[in-house]
Amino acid sequence: MLLSRFWYAIIGIALGASLFLLSLAASIHNRAMRRVLGEGLSADSQVVSAVLKDDARTRAAHLIKFAVDGTIAKALNQASQSTGKIDPGHRDTIEKALKKISQDIPPDQAFDAVFAVDRGGRIIGAIGNVSTHGTEEPELGGHPVVADALHGFVRDDTLVWGRLHRIVARPVELEAGGAPAGAVIGARIIDDKFARELSARSGAAIAFYVSGSRTAAAAPEGFPKTSLDQIVTDLDKVTQDPDYLEKGRSGIREIGSDLAVQYTRLPGEAYSLGAGYAVGRVSTPVTSIFGFLDAADDKDKESVSWPLVLGVAFGALALGLIMSFLEHTVPLRKFAREATALATGKVDHLQPSKFRGVYRRIASDLNDGIDKLAAAQGGVSRKAADLGQVLGDLPATPQMAAFAVPDSGPADSAPATTVPISALSTQRNLPTPPSRNLPNPPSRGKPVQSEEDWPGVFEQFVQTKIQCGENVEGFTYERFRETLIRNREALVQQHGAQEVRFAVYVKDGRAALKASPVRS
Amino acid sequence: MVIPVQGRLRRRISASLLLAMSLTSIGALGARVVGSISGYIHLENPVWVESKDPKSRSYTFREMVPTVPAQYRKLSPYIPKEVAIGLFGTEAQKPGAPITVRVGGGRTTPVMLVAPPGTKIVFHNVDSFEHRLYGVGMKEFGPSNTGRGAKREWTIPAAGTFEIRDELAPSLRMWVRGEPNLMEATYPNAKGEYSFQNVAPGEYEVQAFFSGEKVGPAARVKLANRDVGVPPIVVATPKKDGEKSD
Repeated sequence: MLLSRFWYAIIGIALGASLFLLSLAASIHNRAMRRVLGEGLSADSQVVSAVLKDDARTRAAHLIKFAVDGTIAKALNQASQSTGKIDPGHRDTIEKALKKISQDIPPDQAFDAVFAVDRGGRIIGAIGNVSTHGTEEPELGGHPVVADALHGFVRDDTLVWGRLHRIVARPVELEAGGAPAGAVIGARIIDDKFARELSARSGAAIAFYVSGSRTAAAAPEGFPKTSLDQIVTDLDKVTQDPDYLEKGRSGIREIGSDLAVQYTRLPGEAYSLGAGYAVGRVSTPVTSIFGFLDAADDKDKESVSWPLVLGVAFGALALGLIMSFLEHTVPLRKFAREATALATGKVDHLQPSKFRGVYRRIASDLNDGIDKLAAAQGGVSRKAADLGQVLGDLPATPQMAAFAVPDSGPADSAPATTVPISALSTQRNLPTPPSRNLPNPPSRGKPVQSEEDWPGVFEQFVQTKIQCGENVEGFTYERFRETLIRNREALVQQHGAQEVRFAVYVKDGRAALKASPVRS
Repeated sequence: MVIPVQGRLRRRISASLLLAMSLTSIGALGARVVGSISGYIHLENPVWVESKDPKSRSYTFREMVPTVPAQYRKLSPYIPKEVAIGLFGTEAQKPGAPITVRVGGGRTTPVMLVAPPGTKIVFHNVDSFEHRLYGVGMKEFGPSNTGRGAKREWTIPAAGTFEIRDELAPSLRMWVRGEPNLMEATYPNAKGEYSFQNVAPGEYEVQAFFSGEKVGPAARVKLANRDVGVPPIVVATPKKDGEKSD
């Protein structure tokens, strides 16, 4: 029973430990996932930023083709000489040149619109999607990016002309060393197509936004692009992020249950208009200890060491069964065999010493029951009276007395359970009686017991105590002898007996001595 | 370009013609006041200067083109729209006809406006997208959308300088100067030359304005029945520690 109970405790502790480890693993997994996710998103954001810059530089390089075109430069210079109505001839000349040059630009780097402006910023010619500007003396000269170009700089910008536009501009020179004749400006609308190109180059899921609305989005294959729509619900909150406001890039933000994003403000005039882009990644947090099952894919499951898992499981099962067999099945079968022997008459009583634990008590109780039934039906009892019959010359009541030896437990008035001494084994180290030649222990047929027989009685008594699981440390023959002398004298005086005979027996599972006065 | 306070648009004439005409007498229509400004190359458009600061995050790259000489790389204003020249009398003037200001191309036209208090300003959005103009610190001119082709009116409430901005175009900034004694305002051409036409005889002051402030000294003019040339007004001088082009 002890092993089984110990095993149950181990199983319980192991189960609790497993749950603890699972909870711990989930927490560690989520923390690690957030860290990796954060690093990934930061990398995505920086890559997108670099790609945007590279894209602007590439487009600015394409503007050189316009800037060095003599036809455009000459027309712009002439237009700049006048502040009156724009000469249609200049417009036609410039727009033809713009169209011709645009055809040489690769489609993925082409502009949605190209403008040529004079020194005053007036649009002298334009091609592409130019509907964003009015037709009444259209100009672009107020924008810092255009002003910079008119003052000899090439740069980029992000403007909100109703929609988000990436802008690059550079000066147009008629001759080196002179003031720029004007400038050429290339515009690229930030739409889904632009986002797709950017996503393809950066590998990131990206969404652009301005004024609280998502304006364009694209994501690599396998990424749920529609999940990027969720950023709209978060745009108001991100403006409270100190990092976003001061550094232009937010921390990692989790939207919903499976999306993590990082916001970056777009450079340019759009920066102060709250325009930016968000890069997103799908997060897979483990929300419960069983969440690993949902989060694991087939590859994860294949990597599990199934032999180890099954080995531990079946090993634990086998160990439990073995313990159960040893502690439950074996004693039960043994008891069953003894009970069968009792039932078939091979034995007239059970021997409790053959059993352990509760079976020993059951055997004793059965024996008591059998005795009571036998006595009730006129049979022979195996109580103290039986010993008297065996020993003979037993005085009538109260010529018998049972007493307990000190440290061997109090004797009470409950019916004694007798155990044949022969059933007791003597396999253990015992307190030793005096080293002298002692007579054999008193036999049941011996009528008179002298003091010389007491060492044998002592030895029997100690063996019985050990069998009964009692402590025999400090239990000496001298103490035993004093007790016997004291009881013998009391009985001799009380009953006028010539001698008192002592016998060892088991009472309520404890060793005890029975004293029988002998008159003659 | 001339923005007449009385509501008439007058053409700018060239300096040479003005100088020649200043020597001849004119009829009953009045005389002309002609002059020029100089040193405007040393003025700096505050919007553009702010934008070139890397801290403004206005760009991912900004590089000079080496073939453009340094003198042209100064972010000086486009004076036909950004420097206003005012002709001041000795008495307060009544508000004139409404003045239309075009909003488009990243700025207003003109950028600097001088007019007597009470003058109505009509902002006309010529862009294809909305603007949301507002007066800085002015409750009576709060942010309000002005759609494509739409107009919005505002009256100069008093003497002083007023700044107009756009919530949807941060680089758009305009300054309005309320000047009670303003007779007329005009704008120089790209070379800095300006003129006032049909000016009645009398004593006047000519003052230049840029970014809401007076620039350069006021020039006194005593006009009889003949055109008068105003000595060049130096609106700015080089910085003491030397100017940088970028």
